[in-house]
Amino acid sequence: MPKYMLLLHNDPAGFAKLSPEEMQKATEKYMEWTKRSFVVDSKRLTGEPGRVIRATNGQTRATDGPYSATKEILGGYYAIEAADYDDAVRLAMDHPHLTHGGTIEVRHVFGT
Amino acid sequence: MEPHTSSLLDHLFRHQSGRILAHLTRLLGPQHLETAEEAVQEAMLRALQTWPHHGAPDNAPAWLFRVAHNAAIDAVRRDRTGGLKSAEFVEALNRAAVHTPGDPDFEEQLRDNELRLVFMCCHPGIPRESRVVLSLKVAGGFSVREIARAFLAADEAIAQRLVRARRQIRDQKLTLDMPHGTELSERLDSVLEVIYFMFNEGYGTHEGEDLIRTDLCFEALRLGEMIASSSISAPRVHALTALMALQAARLSARTDDAGDLILLDRQDHSRWDEHLIALGFHYFERSIAGDRVSLYHAQAAIAAAHARGAKWLEILDLYEQLFALSPSPVVALNRAVAIAKVAGPADALAAIESLDLPGYHLYLAVRGHLLLELGARAEAAACFAAALECRCSEPEKRFLRRKIAECDQGAGVAIGLPLSTT
Repeated sequence: MPKYMLLLHNDPAGFAKLSPEEMQKATEKYMEWTKRSFVVDSKRLTGEPGRVIRATNGQTRATDGPYSATKEILGGYYAIEAADYDDAVRLAMDHPHLTHGGTIEVRHVFGT
Repeated sequence: MEPHTSSLLDHLFRHQSGRILAHLTRLLGPQHLETAEEAVQEAMLRALQTWPHHGAPDNAPAWLFRVAHNAAIDAVRRDRTGGLKSAEFVEALNRAAVHTPGDPDFEEQLRDNELRLVFMCCHPGIPRESRVVLSLKVAGGFSVREIARAFLAADEAIAQRLVRARRQIRDQKLTLDMPHGTELSERLDSVLEVIYFMFNEGYGTHEGEDLIRTDLCFEALRLGEMIASSSISAPRVHALTALMALQAARLSARTDDAGDLILLDRQDHSRWDEHLIALGFHYFERSIAGDRVSLYHAQAAIAAAHARGAKWLEILDLYEQLFALSPSPVVALNRAVAIAKVAGPADALAAIESLDLPGYHLYLAVRGHLLLELGARAEAAACFAAALECRCSEPEKRFLRRKIAECDQGAGVAIGLPLSTT
């Protein structure tokens, strides 16, 4: 079965206006989604915004980043199994991340 | 379809946020209420980011506590304005971190802090109309949007009120110290007034679909129980808690499946919540101690009489007692319902004739009902139509339209009285 990576981007500040009750509802929805049968792996990524290493003029340097115009960060990922790209997109389509202002990047893991 | 095993305990976040906030506010002082609020928010955000991937921890309250604690320490360390005396606060926070929710002594301390926070929210230095909003926000864990929805107000208005209230806390240097003597008694009255208002706002028959209103009732009941079980309780606290429990027991019986109102005398008693009725009687019995009969006592007695299925004559007598304590037009209107049951519609109509309740839909609805019972159909229809013009909820509007149709048809099927008797 082909594998796909779902990369979850969002601006965590977007949750600031939610009440504890709404935060709990959101957490439960995320938890439910993670338990679906096609989810192979899922992890949270911390230490935002992270460090980016680049080589400039032969010198490698680590800087804070990646900086972008938006305040979106890559906060977590899922590895899922799907029949094909369309199927993967369809499965990701009802992830609660999307109703909370986040974006999901869907990538095919080559060779699977 | 996967089984929904991801549900957390009902209202876990809401209840924990109130407790953690009270705890942090005790350590940092109410001047830094916002720092404490941000730390609590941070803990919930961490839960949202972590639990879906790694599962909820076995002891979720302790997890939230620890993370909020750490967030508060970070905030204190980051603070450059000097408002937070860093070293001192970090030390206090670290010292408090050894406790875990669930440990009986610490639970006691947490309840005490929550109580102190509610009492601070009801301080006379904070305007009356802000007290309930502040209490819901900080002790109840409600958001600005939820409070606005519950009070049918604009988000901005509620947010403004909170900003002002926080400033008043800072400017007047309010503390979490409990008042003593007569000041304590006065403050308790202020707290009960806020709880009573909170409950009534939630209980009013507005758009029934909105669960936030029911939440308001249960938050008021929770606060009532919290004070009732504390060392500063008084008979009137038990009376108010009894009143709320007995009324809340009827919440789900008040509307049918279509969301239409069912009045008290038509309600299916088997739909009343037995647990809440029992709780109500438990507090009602305890409220009898002491010699002061409060308004809460008189109202609780009426609610208890309804719950027991008492005769209308007894209920009328209780309304007379309530009216003696509080001779307001609204009480007189409610009393008229009992008069109608005991002495008939003509006497009830005479009793409300002189009441001054302009624009109050329930007054017009009761008047219409009594006129209808007396056979004055055209006049009754005019009353119901006038009631429809007032501010009332959708279920109430549907009810009034049914009554108008009834007047027109000439078929005399009395539905009942549209009162706070739902």
